[in-house]
Amino acid sequence: MWTYIVRRTLYNIPVFLSIIFVVMLALRVNDPVSAQLGKNASQQQIELLTEEMGLNQPFLEQYGRFIWKLVRLDFDERSWDQGFPVGEMILNAIPPSMAVTIPTLTITASIAICVGLISAFNRGRVIDKTLMFVAVIGMSISVLVYIIIGQYWGAFLPSQKVDGWPFQISVDASAGETPWFFFNPANWVAFCMLPVMINVTVALGYDTRFYRAVMVEESQRDYIRTARAKGASIKRVMFVHMLKNAMIPIITRIMISLPFIITGSILIEVYFSIPGMGRTLINAINAKDFPVIQAFTALFSALFIASNILTDVLYALADPRVRLS
Amino acid sequence: MSIWTRTRISLTIAAAVVGALTLQTQGAGVVDKDDLKVIQLPILTDGPKSLDPVEGSTTYDNMACAQFYETLLTNKYTNPMEMEPLLLTEMPTSSDGGTTWHFKLKPDVYFHDNECFPGGKGRAITADDVFYSLKRLADAQHKLENWWLLDGTILGFNQYKDEQNAADRFDYDAPVEGFRKINDLEFEIVLEKPVYRFLYVLSMFQTSIVAREAVEFYGDDFSRNPVGTGPFILDTWVPKQSLTANRNPNYHPVFYPERSEWSKADKRNRLHRAGGKQVPFVDRVEFTMFAEPQPMWLEFSKGKLGYTQVPEEYFTEAFDLASRELKEDWLRKGVRPHSNMLLDFTFRGFNMEDELLGGYTPEKIALRRAISYAIDLEEINKTFYNGRRIVYDGPIPPGLDGHPENHRAEAAARGPNLSKAQELLALAGYPNGEGLPPIRFVSSQTTLNNAVGEMVKRQLAEVNIKFEPVYFDFSTMIENVNKKKAPMFGFAWASDYPDAENNLALFYGPNESPGSNHYNYKRPEYDALYEKILTMGPSDERTAIYEQMRDMVLEDCVYVGGMARERFYLINPWLRNCKPTERYYGWFKFLDVDEEARD
Repeated sequence: MWTYIVRRTLYNIPVFLSIIFVVMLALRVNDPVSAQLGKNASQQQIELLTEEMGLNQPFLEQYGRFIWKLVRLDFDERSWDQGFPVGEMILNAIPPSMAVTIPTLTITASIAICVGLISAFNRGRVIDKTLMFVAVIGMSISVLVYIIIGQYWGAFLPSQKVDGWPFQISVDASAGETPWFFFNPANWVAFCMLPVMINVTVALGYDTRFYRAVMVEESQRDYIRTARAKGASIKRVMFVHMLKNAMIPIITRIMISLPFIITGSILIEVYFSIPGMGRTLINAINAKDFPVIQAFTALFSALFIASNILTDVLYALADPRVRLS
Repeated sequence: MSIWTRTRISLTIAAAVVGALTLQTQGAGVVDKDDLKVIQLPILTDGPKSLDPVEGSTTYDNMACAQFYETLLTNKYTNPMEMEPLLLTEMPTSSDGGTTWHFKLKPDVYFHDNECFPGGKGRAITADDVFYSLKRLADAQHKLENWWLLDGTILGFNQYKDEQNAADRFDYDAPVEGFRKINDLEFEIVLEKPVYRFLYVLSMFQTSIVAREAVEFYGDDFSRNPVGTGPFILDTWVPKQSLTANRNPNYHPVFYPERSEWSKADKRNRLHRAGGKQVPFVDRVEFTMFAEPQPMWLEFSKGKLGYTQVPEEYFTEAFDLASRELKEDWLRKGVRPHSNMLLDFTFRGFNMEDELLGGYTPEKIALRRAISYAIDLEEINKTFYNGRRIVYDGPIPPGLDGHPENHRAEAAARGPNLSKAQELLALAGYPNGEGLPPIRFVSSQTTLNNAVGEMVKRQLAEVNIKFEPVYFDFSTMIENVNKKKAPMFGFAWASDYPDAENNLALFYGPNESPGSNHYNYKRPEYDALYEKILTMGPSDERTAIYEQMRDMVLEDCVYVGGMARERFYLINPWLRNCKPTERYYGWFKFLDVDEEARD
């Protein structure tokens, strides 16, 4: 297995380098100097900043320098927009994102798998149709609508009627500088629970439909009929036989979502003022803050590659027929 | 190991992790806020980029820096168009008509206590701190972002800047001919020639006084560790998220404006009540940055925020559109409205070097005036801004000397006047618009700009002018304008100080792109007049020159416009002494909280 992991990692290095190359090249189509200096820049300022940003050097040299920094895991370069070291920005942004995404992923996957199983077992009946109707409705509405309605009806209005209503409209200055603020249970309920509920509502539709399709396929297999014929209860058939055999697509689905734990959710973070990765990245893109965008690209690419390799490994662990070679 | 044992171990570990996290979170920076007077205030956008005054340029940099740093002069809270001393005992004086200025610092003004000072105790400011702070504007290490404020103003300062930036090390101890220290608290600054705006510059946050020890101690991190003399000391700053500050216990005596200084209208709003009391009144200010207006609006409605600017999309929720009166349900809550005219100049400019639209021949001027006559700004105002903007002629915003009476100047090509537009089109060589290539207009990408662009397109089509708007993100748009690639472009200018000279500088030849003269307007007579007004104080003669310059720009039709915004605010009843202004941001120290009303 380790040989496989090392080999896959080596195979993916050119992919990783190519992603960074393309992103760095695409970024340099625009001039970030104007973004930093605004409307009133002099020629001397433009030249000074171009030099300070290292943009006057050949592209390949800029690329090589960035890769060399990655090799040394050196994220000390400062954000052009904020002046903070990029590594510090990433480390501070990961925990708030995780406070929302880990519960979202866990709750969504748990509910969606159960609903998928129930729907598959009641295929064609009212319960199945109702669940799928709700799922389709859930996924058809834009997340922005959920956010706007959620902030108004879920946080603002009840707070006017009920003293001590727990959900807050958005994160305020009390969060301070510590990125672990959201891991305090009281703070999590106040600032993260509503965003999590919205995320779950949106994601549930997609996941439920997917898991239902998987379960429906599994429920038609011979081993299910055999298990039922041998007298296994519906509960046992569903949660032991069927779930175990449906693990490959479930693992795939969950593993695809794993990098999302780190990358966060841009709209949710922007509207609820959660200082996570999504918000940091969108701010960096708006400000043409190349050091931050490049570091995020490298991190996201590495995460996706790692999760792909991990998925393959988990396939082998879940299904003995799969061999890593 | 039994299942029970394993479960118990797992539960213990989980409890320990949760407990540790809880303790860690609660232990970090524990402050018992119950006994403190705290105000929560909003910043709509991403907030400041830097807390180093010389690197600041935006309103939000200003808003943040003004809490920690102070300038020699400041605007008056009662009337922000006027200035008063802040770190000085009196307004600077000049005995030679404005070339040499004499300054006297207040004694016993101390920097914040900070570890950069021996023993952590802030020391008193001196004349050397003033010189040091101004010299930082000349240091290329700070990107010279604000050098334009003092460029060509102080005797020998340009030479100092060039020499030091060319040297291996920027020497802050090297002398500048125009800086003359008399003693620790008294000094003179000698200008190359009298430049009236110099005093305004000394009230701008970029010229705030910083401590050299702090700059050297924090190095690259100085921009996030402000050490000034201001009323508040930074507690936490999470970029694009929040900024909190605690009262400076050693703040020098600054008093709330006397009762007699307030106008009748202000007195009706009970702004005079704290007259003569020492500030600041609150122990802590907490700013939250809102990237979207909805959460800010809801937090204000909930009573959490002291005041809010009324976002465009919420205007009709707060005010009756026709009467502009605050709606009944807000009045019942005790919420108070406030509004300010901004020193705004919103325009659609022409690149005077463009082959099609630029130039100074009668045909070229006729073409630009035809375009201007065909555009109906009032229709845009009514459709998109509920008629809340002021449409005016000339680049001088309402409220400043040189602004035309009733917002109209004869020299302007104010639309809509389609017959005049057609007549001028024929004079320009494009009768009925025939043969005129499409006009490329560059603006920043927003839903509103797109919609306004469509209306202008329709208006110009009525005289057969084809209008091709192109939208970019703001920086790409500026890049296009800076590189003189945009034939026509649109954005806004907010005056840096309340003097028309600041707006007239937008058409001064040497300021051409990438400088502030984005129109690349070059007319020697105009430039000569501009150089003349630089040395003039307020007078009828100066106002007459302002009007002459305004009319030159209007006759040549360098842009189509302008418009000025009115900013509306709502103030919760528990926030006292609040008179929001965007002219300066040192007024947060005057705010107070009525705890009973808030509860």
